[in-house]
Amino acid sequence: MLVDTDLSAYRIAAEPYYRPVGDEVAVFEAAWLHRLPVMLKGPTGCGKTRFVEYMAWRLHQPLITVAAHEDMTAADLAGRFLLTPEGTVWHDGPLTQAVRHGGICYLDEIVEARQDTTVVIHPLTDARRILPLEKRGELVSAHPDFQLVISYNPGYQSAVKDLKESTKQRFVAIDFDYPVPELEAEIVMREACVGPDLARTLVSIAACSRNLRGQGLDEGASTRMLIHAGRLAAGGVSLEAAVHAGIVLPITDDAEVREALGAAIAACLA
Amino acid sequence: MSVLPAIEAPAGARLARLMRGRQTLRGPFETTWRRLEGRFGAGAMEAWAEGALALVEANAGAGCLLAFWQASTGLCGRLDVESLAEAGRQAAAICREAGAKPAAAALDAFARIDTRLADAGERAVWWRSLVKLAMAAPEGVEPLALRATDVLVAGHVAAFEAFVDAGLKAAGRDRARRLAFFALDDALARAMLERIGAGPGFDALEGELKMVLAALWGAAPPFQPPLLQPLPPGARDAPRRVNIAGPVIRMPAVFPGVDEAGARRLYLAAAIHAGAHLAFGNPRFPIARFKPVQMALATLVEDARIEYLAMGRYPGLRRLWAPYHVATPEDGPTTAALLARVARGLFDPSYRDPDELVGKAQRLFREAQERIGDPAISLDIGTRLANDVGQRRLRFDARGHVVEPAYRDDGLGLWDFSDIDPEMTDEVELAVDAARIERREAEDGKADEPPASEPTRRARPSPPASEGRVIATYPEWDAAAGIERADWTSVRAIVPVWGDPRALQRALDRAAPLRARIARLVRAAKVGRALRLKRQAEGHDLDLDAAIETAIARKAGEVTDMRVFRSTVLNQRDLAVLVLVDVSQSTRERLADGATVLDIEKLAVAMLAGKLDQLGDDFALLAFASAGRGDVRVTTVKDFAEPYGGEALSRLAGLESGLSTRLGAALRHAGAAIARVRSFRKLVLVLSDGEPSDIDVASGDLVVDARRAVMALRAAGIDTFGVMLDPAGVGSGARIFGKANAMPVRRAEDLPMRLSELYFRLARR
Repeated sequence: MLVDTDLSAYRIAAEPYYRPVGDEVAVFEAAWLHRLPVMLKGPTGCGKTRFVEYMAWRLHQPLITVAAHEDMTAADLAGRFLLTPEGTVWHDGPLTQAVRHGGICYLDEIVEARQDTTVVIHPLTDARRILPLEKRGELVSAHPDFQLVISYNPGYQSAVKDLKESTKQRFVAIDFDYPVPELEAEIVMREACVGPDLARTLVSIAACSRNLRGQGLDEGASTRMLIHAGRLAAGGVSLEAAVHAGIVLPITDDAEVREALGAAIAACLA
Repeated sequence: MSVLPAIEAPAGARLARLMRGRQTLRGPFETTWRRLEGRFGAGAMEAWAEGALALVEANAGAGCLLAFWQASTGLCGRLDVESLAEAGRQAAAICREAGAKPAAAALDAFARIDTRLADAGERAVWWRSLVKLAMAAPEGVEPLALRATDVLVAGHVAAFEAFVDAGLKAAGRDRARRLAFFALDDALARAMLERIGAGPGFDALEGELKMVLAALWGAAPPFQPPLLQPLPPGARDAPRRVNIAGPVIRMPAVFPGVDEAGARRLYLAAAIHAGAHLAFGNPRFPIARFKPVQMALATLVEDARIEYLAMGRYPGLRRLWAPYHVATPEDGPTTAALLARVARGLFDPSYRDPDELVGKAQRLFREAQERIGDPAISLDIGTRLANDVGQRRLRFDARGHVVEPAYRDDGLGLWDFSDIDPEMTDEVELAVDAARIERREAEDGKADEPPASEPTRRARPSPPASEGRVIATYPEWDAAAGIERADWTSVRAIVPVWGDPRALQRALDRAAPLRARIARLVRAAKVGRALRLKRQAEGHDLDLDAAIETAIARKAGEVTDMRVFRSTVLNQRDLAVLVLVDVSQSTRERLADGATVLDIEKLAVAMLAGKLDQLGDDFALLAFASAGRGDVRVTTVKDFAEPYGGEALSRLAGLESGLSTRLGAALRHAGAAIARVRSFRKLVLVLSDGEPSDIDVASGDLVVDARRAVMALRAAGIDTFGVMLDPAGVGSGARIFGKANAMPVRRAEDLPMRLSELYFRLARR
């Protein structure tokens, strides 16, 4: 076996910074108590992944993250046979590792995966808590510490990319959004190591861009983007240049939207 | 002693001979000749003489010749002799078409505006435009020449020619309108005039301004996304200000005299100011008790109040607005100048003014700081300041009052005109009139008209609604002028008529063999079938054959191929298609079997739609016809969102032939409709029976316009294909859609099969 059984590589050593905005920590802990599968919903860059890391640290569990993509197959989750000089050998996929040895398996942006792939998690997310590996003829019962967490962004994907009803209904959901301005400024201050005024300016810029959601932008600037721009500014780049490089350029390719966003940003900068 | 006998060269001699007998012309001619000869030398005079002779031969008369002498002496310091001669020849051409007086006016104008023409090329444009005008509308030359200084702006000579072309096009054969246009008494002429030499106008910046407003003010709870509209062109020379009418911000189509960078900045400043009004309360003070000067000052304080609040939220706005506050005591002793300084003082607390009114305004505004969120303070401070103005007996010109600085709105949106004191003054009436005009225009615009209700369903076709609601306007390419005219065509949504689907259903049943062929096409399209890929480097499963070969190779010590996995990919379709059906008058034509072209079109569409529905592809069906640029009628037979069924079939059966084919506008509308759909590939299929045409424009122009519309759709990632009924094989389908994307159909009966064939050919690609 290629993996150590206590998954120590996946343990989180230091406490990740996470600023709770509501009762999400309590809900997650309650779900953990009963090992209920959890779904984190919310726009990109609002702290879903950071929250899972934080909870894994808090609960002293290894965290196995899988970023879903549209070519992902069930084998990428469950495992596959590999060829060695001695013949074929089975290799557990990330999901199977977590199921066998206990830990939180986090499937990031689950809707990116095809719907027929995601049904593999169904037997794990009800009372059975088993993972059938039909290629190996094995039925893996979940470790008592196994918990499944998925995240998805209901905003930008089309109706085509939605979870099956049968998948959705297996999860406890926690809704994430960008924090209120004061909290978001606090987060930007902490993460980007910038002063309160700069953080507040960045947050007001983000509010402007989020107003453009659906009117030129698919998504407004995320908290993560603000932190990036803040770090650039803290690193000596002028604020205008930092905002341009950290927010305006990544967020849109449309010249008109850029101009409009530029004008709004100019209004925000003191 | 005369200089004339000294002239040897033929043209010069002839001219001299001719002039000798004309008493009125002889003296000035000799003076001019001497002057030019001194400037250019005797050898060059032959060329000039030829130009003058051209005028004489055109029977130009004394006035025109004198104008030429005068222009020549006036310009000989700047221009070479050839340019002067050319002016003579061109004036002669104008004279032949329009007469001597316009030609003389043109020469006079030329002498006046020559400094604005940079080189021979620009002079050629000037003369070419005038000659063109003389040929098409001789009566227009003189008025335009008299106003040439207004129309011709240095560096914008092409705009002069465009102005002439636009006048000829807009007025058509209407002589009075042409005259009005070139005398600059026409609204369109004034609108065009405003744009010459000005920076980008409202239409160029509208999209950006909308987004800026949404970004800055979109979150405030009572604030709806504002509607932006252009102001109708107003009186000449009057400064235009933004007008707020309810939730609508109306902006001047152009800020005259502002250059490129300045225009964008001014539009931004104005839009954000108006947005701040809407975001921080647009109170609608009752007008009844107030005098114009009180209104003006209350408006001014309210402007300062909302700007104060706006700058509190967005500190960068101070940088945007500050450059416009430049009023100083040196501007003059007028009340208007004093008000501009009050505005500056309220905007910038650090501004100090010798006039105590400014200081008082600043003090009152400062003291009201705690209640800054309350619009009532504006009324309160405004009336108190107005009392001071009254006590000092300062004269306030209500009629000519214009809000300063330029980015601020006219303030009429702050007042409620519904409750008017019967004893109001004239000036108030003026303001009321202004507001009334706004309202009347809003009604004409039909912006708030509720959509017509759906008719009850019945089998017999009912007459179509005479006029649908305007749902969109699109630009159109003006091939003659070489520019795209913004919002030139209006698309109206026609309420679909319910027809009897049974006939269509019977036709579908009769065409069973055809449908069987189409069904084969569907199978060939291999819709949604999984493909199995062998010998992959990655995959969900071992490819046993490959694994065994690799194992053998490894045991034998050979180089091994590690591609031993099997994977599958789904052949997924992600396709949206919009079928655009031409239902113009020509589709009424009957074929040999008695069916009309429209019947065949309907059958073709119904067949394709049935298959599309089976495949689950997103599709919509639109029908179009037109009666001029203001009336492009689009009927939605099936929208993307609704399922295809009996209702859509019934609406399809209810389509009727009539009117013309303005293909470009219909294509742009189809493009806008399909752009909203989320899909990997987007197709627009056009089903038409012939050339684009309409009542108010040449057919060739519409072909070029349609071509441009197709190119624009392609740029937006939408593929456009044309199935054109074209019995003679000479149609413009290939010119519009490109050779590969046009499918000419020789026999109407083939249309259903061809349309479906085309679709599945495209869908496979």
